[in-house]
This record gives sequence, structure tokens and C-alpha cells, in this order.
Amino acid sequence: MSELKRTPLYDAHVAAGATMVDFGGWEMPIQYPTGIVSEHLYDRKHCGIFDVSHMGRLIVEGPERVAFLQKVLSSNVAALVPGRAQYCIIPTETGGAVDDAYLYMYEEDRYMLIVNASNTDKDLEHFAKYLPHYDCTITNITDTYSSIAVQGPDAEKILKVLSGGVEISGPRKNDLNELNMEGRTVRVSKTGYTGDPIGWELFTDAAEVNWLWHRLIELGAQPIALGARDTLRLEAGLPLYGHEMGADASGAEMPIFAVSLAKFAVSFAEEKADFIAKDILKAQKENGTAKKVVPIALIDRGVMRAGMDIYKDDRHIGWVTSGTMVPYYNFDENGQILDTTGKRSIGFAYIDSAVSMDDVIEIDVRGKRLKAKPVTRHMIQNEPPYGKADVSI
Amino acid sequence: MNNPTNLKYAKSHEWVKHEDGIAVIGISDFAQSALGDVVYVGLPTVGTQVTAGESFGDVESVKAVSDLICPVSGVICAVNDELDNAPELLNEDPYSAWIIKVENVTAEEELLDAAAYEAFCAEEE
Repeated sequence: MSELKRTPLYDAHVAAGATMVDFGGWEMPIQYPTGIVSEHLYDRKHCGIFDVSHMGRLIVEGPERVAFLQKVLSSNVAALVPGRAQYCIIPTETGGAVDDAYLYMYEEDRYMLIVNASNTDKDLEHFAKYLPHYDCTITNITDTYSSIAVQGPDAEKILKVLSGGVEISGPRKNDLNELNMEGRTVRVSKTGYTGDPIGWELFTDAAEVNWLWHRLIELGAQPIALGARDTLRLEAGLPLYGHEMGADASGAEMPIFAVSLAKFAVSFAEEKADFIAKDILKAQKENGTAKKVVPIALIDRGVMRAGMDIYKDDRHIGWVTSGTMVPYYNFDENGQILDTTGKRSIGFAYIDSAVSMDDVIEIDVRGKRLKAKPVTRHMIQNEPPYGKADVSI
Repeated sequence: MNNPTNLKYAKSHEWVKHEDGIAVIGISDFAQSALGDVVYVGLPTVGTQVTAGESFGDVESVKAVSDLICPVSGVICAVNDELDNAPELLNEDPYSAWIIKVENVTAEEELLDAAAYEAFCAEEE
């Protein structure tokens, strides 16, 4: 696997006994010896740390950086102020997604755009089509600037040890800050991909990231690999490019507004002016899309997986886009976390928009039809410090 | 690896124990370790005819699903229902957590003893 790229934390993952896999051209941990279930639960009850250094980090700078980003991103970049970040989608010319991304404004004169690891090259090729028309540049700093996500109920307590008691960031989602952590400069962002009410993403020079990783472990955080990262984001109801965005199981492009997050990611503000696929996206928003991505829960016993066919009254209505069995902690009536755990079979479906919340759908699980239903959410995310499973299906 | 010497092993990583003409079947330590956390076991029903070399059920881990291959031909006379609520028993104690028992055994796959099975697993790794 010599052609695979490695993050600066590769040796730390191997030393910890991780199972390494090819993930979008990167040799990354899929699980540590404790396993996916235990990693997932540790994150929800204590604190998980994630090596997200494989994700593409791009610096966009130059006089026409705002105009360029307004053109290629779905969000209103002009509304972003220093110290804030925003979620956005990179639209195709036909109203689908090249990728989804996060835009950070740490400084007045430049932006950092973070894209999916396996899409970095494709995104750069896509941007290159538009870049010559704007006086700005894109620099890929993925290899020199690293990132660790710190998520879960104990995240603040742990990070405050490193910051010497200084507040990690403002209280709002997407607040940014730059901190001195034991003599090193670390940038933070109140964002994450776990749905935990408490959590930050940290950025630091590649040379410092091993120090940061090991200090976080010393302070009680536990490394979480890609397997549990996927179960955590699935439980949080967060889409993943290649599953809930991109192409569907038949190979057709999924419209951006099939995903409910598009409501927050796409702006038609006047100051945004024209951008890629603006009219198509406006039509998607106004008329709706033929199919939509919805969280679903299995009623019957079993496990659903991405790509499985979904039926209603024997009519094919779409596919499972993500699915597995996810563990959760039980809580008592006062919201106190218990030691007991359960498991539930949940996922996302890309199905006819006419399907309602009350409908029962059927999933073809290897030749057997299992009953499932759309749900409003898999998890309660607004009762800190815990992200709690919503098991009321 | 600690594979009991009183069991026989299939190359598809199931173990077989012969008890008074009945074949007790489970999955090996190598199999459970490769699967990772087992979260669901798709069990057959008692009375089902099984054929050596063919699937009799499946195990789902968080990551993927794998077929359970029956090392013997016969009729299922017992199913370990405990796995319905505690599939993790396959991870915790794979040689106690049997999956099915088969009677009227008429045929058997080529099975390995513990030493030969360990050598086989070492090659697979």
C-alpha cells in the first residue's frame, strides 16, 4: 500500500493497534482494538478524538476571493465574518453536489475551505475551471497543516486544561478562536461531525499534531477511527458525500435539495448574485425534488446497508444510502446517563418525496423484505452535555 | 490463537463439535476478530435442512455482513436464541456461543484440526 498517503498521526494509529484501510487514497484507521461499538459509546459518554488530517484543507486568498467563492460555493460567503465558519455545498453545473465543505474565516484576508479527503483532487479540478476568471489563488495545505476533532461531553474540560482555563471559543456553533495551548498555537472551531452538543475541531501545524494527539489522550480522550466516525455521524443525521450526496444507486445525480441540510447551505441572497446552478437550485427549492434523503429506522430485526432497494406496496421507491446497527446509552427520566446500552438499526434512505412520516416502507435485505419507517431524527442534540438517542420510532 | 483441540474447523471459519451424533456449530476466534463487533445474527429455524458448503444464516458486524457456511449436511435441531438479544457473545466467547445444532448428519466438509486451522489462518492474515 506504498502509494497511499498517510497523515502525520499514521505511526500513532499503528502503535495503538489500529486496523488500517485505504480510505479515499489515504491509509487510515478503521477501528482501534476496542472496536467500533466501544469507540462510539466512549465518544457519547466521555470524549473522542478523531484524526481528520486527511481532509483537504485549502487556503483561498487574493483580491477576488469572495467573488470566486460566491461563484463556486452554495452559501453566502459575504455574510461570513472573521471568527465564524459556515457549511456549504459545491454545486455541479446541473444542481448536484461536487462535494460538501466547510468554510472558515480565521483572518480578514483569506479563507480556509475544508473538503472531503477523497474529493480533494476532484474539487481542485472543478475549481480550476472557474479560477482563471478571478484574481485569487488556492493553496492546498493539507500536508503541512493538520486537524484533530475533539468531541463529546468531556471535550471542554479536557481542552481547558490545555488552554490554561481560557474559554475554548464563543458559545455558538461555528464560532472560531485561536488559542495558546501549552505554548503552541492551536486554532479551534466549534464544529464537528458527531452531533455531540459539545465539541470542537482543532487545527495546528503538522509538526505539532502528534504532541496534541498524545496530550489529549493523557487527559482522558480516546481515539476514534473511521468506523465509529461513520456510526456517530449517521446517528447524528449528518449526510456523507458518496452516500447522501453525489450519485444515487442507479448512477444518477442526486439534486442538492434532496438533502434537508441544503436549506442552510444554499443562499439566494441578493449580494451572492449569480453562482453555479443558481436557477436549477432555486427550482429545486421551490418545486421540491422527486426524491429526498430521510432518516429511517428498521422496525423488523436485521441490518440495512447502503444500496439496498426500498419498496412501498411493491413499488420501487428508492434505496438505502447508509445503514448499520448503532449502539446507544440509556438515560433515566431526569436525563442522567446510565451504564446500560442498547443497539438499533438505523440509516438514511433516498426515496420518493411523496412518502410520509406515517408510511411503512420495505427494505430488500438480501432477499428478505424488512419493514422500516421514516423518522424525524435519530438523536437529541440540544440537551448538553450528552447527545441522546431518540429511540421513539 | 487459542483454538480448542477437541473441535474441528472449516476453511470458512466455522467450528464443529460432534456430540452424540449431533454437530454443534459456531464461528472461530479468527472469524469473530476479523468481523469486529457482531451486532446481529440472522438465525435459521429449527427443522431447516442444511447442506455442507451452503449458507445457513448470516452475521452482521457494524461494518459488513458475512454468510455463515454450514460445514455439515443435515437437519437443524436447535438454534441458540440467546444470540438474538446478545449477538456480542460471538465476540466475547466464540467457542461457548454455539449457533446451531445439526442432527441426521449425512455429509461433512473437509475439516481441519486446531493445528492445521491455525496454520491456515496464519496464511490468510
